[in-house]
Amino acid sequence: MATRISDNIRLGTFVLGGLFVLVLLLYMIGRNEHLFGTTYVLKARFHNAQGLVKGNNVRFSGIQVGTVRKITIEESTQIEVTMSIDKKMRRVIRKDAVVSIGTDGLVGDKVVDITPVSLICSLARDGDTLTTKPVVSLAALLDTLDHSGRDISVIASELKMTVQRVNRSAIWSLLDDSTVPADIKVTLSNIRQASGRASVMAGGLDRLVQDMRAGRGAAGILLADTVLAGDIRQAGKRIRLAGETADSLIGTLKNVAGDVQAGVAKNNGVVHALLYDTAIIEKLNTSLDHIQKGTEGFSQSMEALKHSFLLRGYFRKQEKQKKKNK
Amino acid sequence: MQQETSIKLFLAEAGDLARFSARFFREAFRPPYEVAAFIRQCFVIGYRSLGLVSLTTFIMGLVLTMQLRPSMVAYGVASQIPAIVSIAVVREIGPVITALIFAGKIGSSIGAELGSMKVTEQIDAMEVSGTNPFRYLAVTRILAATLMLPVLVLLGDAIALYGAYLGVNIRGITSFNLFWSQVFDNLSFSDVLPAFIKSYFFGFAVGTVGCYKGYSSRKGTEGVGRSANSAVVVASVVIFIIDLLTVQIAEAIGIN
Repeated sequence: MATRISDNIRLGTFVLGGLFVLVLLLYMIGRNEHLFGTTYVLKARFHNAQGLVKGNNVRFSGIQVGTVRKITIEESTQIEVTMSIDKKMRRVIRKDAVVSIGTDGLVGDKVVDITPVSLICSLARDGDTLTTKPVVSLAALLDTLDHSGRDISVIASELKMTVQRVNRSAIWSLLDDSTVPADIKVTLSNIRQASGRASVMAGGLDRLVQDMRAGRGAAGILLADTVLAGDIRQAGKRIRLAGETADSLIGTLKNVAGDVQAGVAKNNGVVHALLYDTAIIEKLNTSLDHIQKGTEGFSQSMEALKHSFLLRGYFRKQEKQKKKNK
Repeated sequence: MQQETSIKLFLAEAGDLARFSARFFREAFRPPYEVAAFIRQCFVIGYRSLGLVSLTTFIMGLVLTMQLRPSMVAYGVASQIPAIVSIAVVREIGPVITALIFAGKIGSSIGAELGSMKVTEQIDAMEVSGTNPFRYLAVTRILAATLMLPVLVLLGDAIALYGAYLGVNIRGITSFNLFWSQVFDNLSFSDVLPAFIKSYFFGFAVGTVGCYKGYSSRKGTEGVGRSANSAVVVASVVIFIIDLLTVQIAEAIGIN
C-alpha cells in the first residue's frame, strides 16, 4: 500500500509537471500576444495596410507594446487599424505620436511603429485615432530607382558622345601631340633664362639706386649734394633778379619805343629821319662810299708806311712780340 | 491471388481495429469505472516512460541545435537558432519523437502483456468470473496512454528546449533570459495547440493498437512476440498518418 501511495505521488508530480509546462507555454505565448493584462485601444487610418494582419506586433520606439487587434476597411480608400496597447503605455503615448507600418528586419513580419513626437501634447486616450505617416513601400522605392536608372543611362550616353567629340576635337589632338610637351619645355627654359636676365638687370638697377642714394655718379650728385642744391637755389634767385632787371629794362625800352613812336608821329627827330627821309639814305650811301674809298687809301698808305725804312723796325718788333706771346 | 488475400487481410484487420475502438468508446464512458487500475496504468505508462522520453528529447534538442548551427551561421542568422529550434521542437519533433518512443516502450509492453494474458486464457477466465476484462485491461490502458502521452510530450518539449539551450551555448554565448525570450517571442498558440491536441491522438493510437494486438494474438507464445512487434510497427505508422492528417486539418481550418 505504501508503494502504491508513493507511486501515486510520483504520478501526481509527473502529471502536474506536464500541466505546469503546458500552462507556462500558453501563458508565455499569451502574454507575448497581449491576451492577458489590461489593454486599451488606439486606432490609425492608412491608405495601404501593406500586408498587415491581425496579431502583428505594435512597437513604441522599438519596444513591443501591443498587437494589431482588428483591420477594417473604412471607406474604399481608407483602412482602419485597431491596436491593443498595454495599459502601462497610457502614461507614455501622446496624441501627436505618428503611426507607420514597417517591417521587422528586411524581410520579416510587418509591424506597426508608433513614434513619439513631442512631450507637450496631451496623452492619448482609449479609442483615440493617431496620425499616420505614409510609408515608403518597396515598390515606390524601386519605381524611384527605375527613374534614376533611366536618367543615369541618358547621362551616360551623353557623356559618351561628349567624350567621343572631345577625342575628335582640336584640343584632343593638341593634348595628344607628343611634341607639345617638348615645346613647352623649351619655352619654359627660355622663360627661365629671361627671368634670370631680368633678375640680373634688377640687381644692376638696385645697385644703381644704391649708388644714387650713396651720392655716387651724376644723378647721385644731383640728388644727394646739398651744396649744389644751395647753388641751384642761388642761381634761381639770380635768374629771378635778372628777370626783374629785364623787366625794368623792357619798361625802359617801352618808354623809349613810346618816345620814338611819338617822335615818328610828330615827323621830327633822328628816328623819323632815319625811317622816312629817303634823301638821308642816299646821303648815307654816298658817305659810306666815301668812307670806303678813304679806308682803302688809308690801308694803302699804311702798307706804304710798313715798307718805309723809317717805320720797318717798329713793325718787325711788333711781329716778334706776337710770336713770343704764342 | 496472394495479393488479393493480403489486401483482404489488411482490410479485415482495419475493420477489426475500428470495431475495437468503437468498443472502447462504448465501454469507457459507462460506469463502473476502474479508477484504481486506471491510476496504476497511468503510473506504469506515464511515469515509467519519463526517463526514456527525457533522455531522447534532451539529445534531440541538443543535436538539432548543433546540426542547425553551421548552416544558420552560413546564412548569418545564428541568432535565430533558438527560435527555429523551439518551433521545430514544439510543433513536430517533440510530439513525434516522444510518441515513437512511447510506441516502442508502451505499445510493445501492452501488446506483450495482453497477448500473453490472451494466450494463457487469463482474459477468458476473467470473463467467466464475471469481471469485464475489456474494461479492466483495455480501457484503463488506452485511457492512460491517451492522457499520459500529452504530459510526456510537454515535459519532453521542455527538456528538449533545455538541451537546445545547452547546444546553443556549446559554441556561442546566449544568456538564459535571451534564449527564453527568443523562444517565446517566436512561439504562438498555433504552434502549441495543434501539437498538443495531436499528442492525444498519438497516445490513443498507441494504446488502442497495443491493446488490439494483444487482444487478438494467437498461436501461443510465438503469437505474443508477433503481437508485441506488430503493435509497435502499426502504432508507429498510425502516428505518422495522424501527423499527416493533423497538419492537413490545421491548414484547412487556418491554425497552422
